[in-house]
Amino acid sequence: MPYFTLPDLGEGLQEAEIVEWHVNEGDSVKVDDLLLSVETAKAIVDIPSPRDGIIGSLFVRNGDLIHTGEPLLAFAGDEGTGSQTVVGNLESQDDSDNQDHFVIGAVTEGHHFGGATPAIRALAQHLGVNLEQLRGSGPNGTITFEDVQQNANLKHSHGDSTPLKGVARSMAKTMACAGQQVVPVSLFDQTSIRHWAAHTDITLRLIQAIVAGCQAEPALNAWFDGSTLSMRVVEKIDLGIAVDTPDGLFVPVLRDVGNREPDDLREGLDRLRHDVRNRKIPAKELQGATLTLSNFGTLGGRFATPVVVPPQVAIVGAGKRFIQPGINNGALFEDVQLPLSLTFDHRALNGGQAARFLAALLADLSAPPM
Amino acid sequence: MFMPEPYQIHQRLDALADCPHWQRLTEGYRNMQLIRTFDKKAVNLQRTGQLGTYASCLGAEAIATAGGMALAREDYFVPYYRDHATQYLRGVPLYQILQYWGGDERGNAFPADTPASRDLPNCVPIATQLPQAAGIATKAKLTHEHAAVLATCGDGGTSRGDFYETLNVAGVWQLPLVVMVNNNQWAISVPGQLQTASRSIAHKAEAAGIEGIRVDGNDLPALLEVLDYALDKARHGKGATLVEAISYRLSDHTTADDASRYRKASELHTAWQHEPIARLRHALVNARQWDAEQETQWQQHCRDVVDDAVKTYLEHPPQVPADMLDHLYATLPASLGRQRQTLSRQQGDPHA
Repeated sequence: MPYFTLPDLGEGLQEAEIVEWHVNEGDSVKVDDLLLSVETAKAIVDIPSPRDGIIGSLFVRNGDLIHTGEPLLAFAGDEGTGSQTVVGNLESQDDSDNQDHFVIGAVTEGHHFGGATPAIRALAQHLGVNLEQLRGSGPNGTITFEDVQQNANLKHSHGDSTPLKGVARSMAKTMACAGQQVVPVSLFDQTSIRHWAAHTDITLRLIQAIVAGCQAEPALNAWFDGSTLSMRVVEKIDLGIAVDTPDGLFVPVLRDVGNREPDDLREGLDRLRHDVRNRKIPAKELQGATLTLSNFGTLGGRFATPVVVPPQVAIVGAGKRFIQPGINNGALFEDVQLPLSLTFDHRALNGGQAARFLAALLADLSAPPM
Repeated sequence: MFMPEPYQIHQRLDALADCPHWQRLTEGYRNMQLIRTFDKKAVNLQRTGQLGTYASCLGAEAIATAGGMALAREDYFVPYYRDHATQYLRGVPLYQILQYWGGDERGNAFPADTPASRDLPNCVPIATQLPQAAGIATKAKLTHEHAAVLATCGDGGTSRGDFYETLNVAGVWQLPLVVMVNNNQWAISVPGQLQTASRSIAHKAEAAGIEGIRVDGNDLPALLEVLDYALDKARHGKGATLVEAISYRLSDHTTADDASRYRKASELHTAWQHEPIARLRHALVNARQWDAEQETQWQQHCRDVVDDAVKTYLEHPPQVPADMLDHLYATLPASLGRQRQTLSRQQGDPHA
């Protein structure tokens, strides 16, 4: 069965996401008929058919991530083999260091695959290990005998690993980047909210308290550029709200929370959550946060050290309410406490600033309701 | 001077009634159709892994065709990278153009018995071909050749030092040089209004003391008139010319680009209303020089010619690794002898 593999669509880009198939298994196609659309890091690209034929099987589905040289589809039957570059045995397609480095315009980065000797390749093939997914421990990232064996053992005992996609993939990249840059320090505290009315909108109260915190210490609402070591304190508070979805973590941005009425904020918040759940949120609504709130306590957990995502300098985490004994004039009573965590980037802020912010935030929460 | 009013955009398609050159225009039309068919196929070959990164000439058909038709056998052509039509008309077979974009150096070995054998290969680094064109023009002048040099670049190239240096020597040495700028409004993602504050690109000729002409780059007869004039002037030792041909890049910058990320769909839609092939066909049909039946036949012919070229390209055995030494040295240094011997035992792989 002749295979059609993903070609290098843009000067050394090694992966693409399937946007949409325009054909189904069993369809007849002519050469140059549109087969599918894929998205690389640079472009959405339409891929036409390299030959006449009947579509036998599709190997990837809409939304899948695929690497150059991996099969997109197989044509039915065995009528002719077509061009060597396109159609042939899968075994001949793993020659991943044969790349086109010809460039008009911007130069792209090389890929991660550190290379392997023919013997290692043969071993990998024998053991069914995909060299593209290995990180070489040899000199200059070359893949060693031990790397392949270790991976084969893992695969044998625990099965294949699943590459992350979509939101989960971008979260992994963002967090790895943040983890390398930020110098995090966390402060924890708690405050009594026993006096809150039964139906108090906790998220709204938290937002108002964050605004109060920023009034006391404006430097928490800022962008910090680690490469130039420069700081930009932002007047408007655009608050990122962490939202958990089955597809992963989204952080839509609620704009200008310092100057909006509570009803307006609640409406904006509901709309953002609704858009996120329906995956209809425009990309620009996920950008430009100046400070973030993670209200993880609605799910569980008391204190946390959430990750500050640059260029922001801080993140506030609210935990699950809990009951503890309180003392008033020597008499015990049942108190309700709200736990709070503040993580800040010690490159941009110092402990005094963070503590003043947290104190103002707590003071606002423990104040009588407006 | 070409025009009494310098820097007015020269057009001809709207006033063709008295044109004595219908045959030349229908020939030009056929060439433009052929190169567009070729262009579409080349993009599809890249999309299916059978060609490397490719620069489309969609929207530049009139400019490159006019260049190929106006050049005389003894002239020289120094291209940038969207001049497939000119190269074809100078005698480069279509399969060799595919070889070049497929990363096969043999595509640059232009046939010796054609005018193309005098020409330079594609130049991908921006505007570096222009000083070389000035060098060739200097040689032609010093040896009293009756020949002109036509060099091309894009609007982005006009911001390079190489461009100004070339115009400067072309003026002060009175070189037989024509520099034609395909001003297609976009240098990858940089639009024309961010490229220069000059009143037009042709105005840059002023500083060099040479003539600057603006012409509608979607108007084949106008382009032919301008290039006939400028090349003839050059051959007769009357100096260099800067030609700004105003077109629109209807394609992405290359197959590695996605112009929809920085360009409005409405702008592209408007540009399609002025594209060079439909405009010329309209004029030819109005003048009863072309009809629907000829159109159908010619389109089929174009497909056949292009399919043949693709077949020849794909069936060509890949280059062998030893070529990288053989194409570099006339006499192989002794120290590379053993390497050459090892390489000569290896088969080649398709590059694209």
